Amino acid sequence: MNVAIIGAGPGGYVASIKAAQLGASVTVIEETEVGGTCLNWGCIPTKSLVASSDMLTKTRKLDDFGIELKGTITPNFLKILKRKDNIVNTQVKWIKNLLKSWGIVLRKGRGKILSPREIEILSNNGSKEIIKADKIIIATGSSSSRITSLPFDGNRIISSNDALKLNDIPKSILIIGAGVIGCEFACIYNALGSSVTIVETLPRIIAAEDTEISQLLEREFKKKKIKIHKNTIIDKIELRREGVHALLNNGQEVTAEKVLVAVGRRCNSNGIGLEDVGIRKGMKGEVIVNDKMETTLPNIYAVGDVTGGLLLAHVASKGGIIAAKNVMGGNEKINYNGVPTVIFTSPEIASVGIREFQAIKKGIKVNTGYFQFRSTGKAHIIGEISGFVKILSDKQSDKILGIHIIGPHASELIHEGVLAITKGLKTYDITETIHAHPTLSEGMLEAAEDIHDEAIHVLRK
Amino acid sequence: MEPEELYYHKEHTWVKVSGKKATIGITNYAQESLGDIVYVDLPEVDSDMEINNEIGEIESTKATSSIISPISGRVINVNEDLIDSPEIINEDPYVKGWIAVLELDDISELDDLMDASEYVKYIEEETK
Repeated sequence: MNVAIIGAGPGGYVASIKAAQLGASVTVIEETEVGGTCLNWGCIPTKSLVASSDMLTKTRKLDDFGIELKGTITPNFLKILKRKDNIVNTQVKWIKNLLKSWGIVLRKGRGKILSPREIEILSNNGSKEIIKADKIIIATGSSSSRITSLPFDGNRIISSNDALKLNDIPKSILIIGAGVIGCEFACIYNALGSSVTIVETLPRIIAAEDTEISQLLEREFKKKKIKIHKNTIIDKIELRREGVHALLNNGQEVTAEKVLVAVGRRCNSNGIGLEDVGIRKGMKGEVIVNDKMETTLPNIYAVGDVTGGLLLAHVASKGGIIAAKNVMGGNEKINYNGVPTVIFTSPEIASVGIREFQAIKKGIKVNTGYFQFRSTGKAHIIGEISGFVKILSDKQSDKILGIHIIGPHASELIHEGVLAITKGLKTYDITETIHAHPTLSEGMLEAAEDIHDEAIHVLRK
Repeated sequence: MEPEELYYHKEHTWVKVSGKKATIGITNYAQESLGDIVYVDLPEVDSDMEINNEIGEIESTKATSSIISPISGRVINVNEDLIDSPEIINEDPYVKGWIAVLELDDISELDDLMDASEYVKYIEEETK
């Protein structure tokens, strides 16, 4: 079986390894670098910047921990970027080695589907070659959405890609969009010393998350002096020598050195031959697939961001595994029930399952349990007390429906909840589980106990 | 002792009235129950506050709690000293630890509040 995969991001490269493990002869076509957006412009490099800015924030609290520093602490942005590049390069090499060890052929160039069994590879030097495949997996990913009136210039009007390679820390930055990307960069640049202003058209920040998560993050932003304009649009924006000048519809004016446009992502579904062979796309250009990751054309599959829905690396990888298994004769279906979202703001956010506003909308009756990290000893030990765990369970059956965490290490803590939701566990399954002391995981235990008013470290209500 | 000249709300906030202006804060009982205060989320100047509604939030080392407005009115001033030194509320909840000054909407709302001796009795009942 010859399998060709277009795109070597977390959807494509994972699919290629799985297909090779199952015995396929695999070719992966990648226009830029293996790892896709996630490894080169997304998850990995941004978290490297988060780690540097966190380190800076922590060293500024040295005195609180009884450590004296003789001298000053200053971020060196070039070194921070160098460290990020090293991490990315290590991972890129690692993935290339993985592909090699499975005998996967990596072809550099832009893949275009000519027919259900033929792909043209257009290499960067302009040469073309056609390869044949029995089955094809499309995993071309997504790119930053643009605002027509604010075209990216890489200098004053920047995308999230540009924000990873600036020459210096901007003195001030205006971020358009308070979604995941906007809020993560707000935290990074705020910690590095930029004056940060966010403009969001919606009534709250990270509006896809539970309302109380948004409220707490907003309060933490207020503490950090990150300015937020909600329910606000930019009436007019002018480029000036010193940067950008924005007039907001709430009457306020913002002047900043840079403006970061973080208003979402669009599918990379153009110019890869989909229209010519008749693969159907949706309203937003997403490749339409069923739960087996099959497109509307037999033997052609699609996974990851290009299929729309949840634009998350781990969803792309899961889709990649399912597509690879089905390519090799399997009959697997994707299940989006237990998909965690993690947001590397400060504090971190992680969630899985239903939000309370969704439960209300759907008429699902829920019990809610809360536990504040500040009620644990561990949060005080590490000096990060803000945040909580919130659990929603079905009022009738006690089945856990949603878990929402904001606080230290939320992105790691969520996986107990992901397991609970994937396996349909009840809150008593968590309360019967012994959680080690002193840990932040006690927050999960006590939030589950709180559903039945059984939490120990909560004042009498 | 709770100062005699103040009015008290059952959610443990106080009001001090002078003409059309009302200064508000949280009571000694509230600060003691919260413990060491580490952050006060102040209301915004010019915003309108309604009696019995949340006007801000207080975080202590072990708890967070809504600040419930004891009276209705427009916020004309907030205690900015609390931004950097929220512990002032622990040290002096009735004078230096004031939270905001409102321009009163309806002075008759004071009739629904407690005086010092009523509030002391109320706390005794609550903690029984």
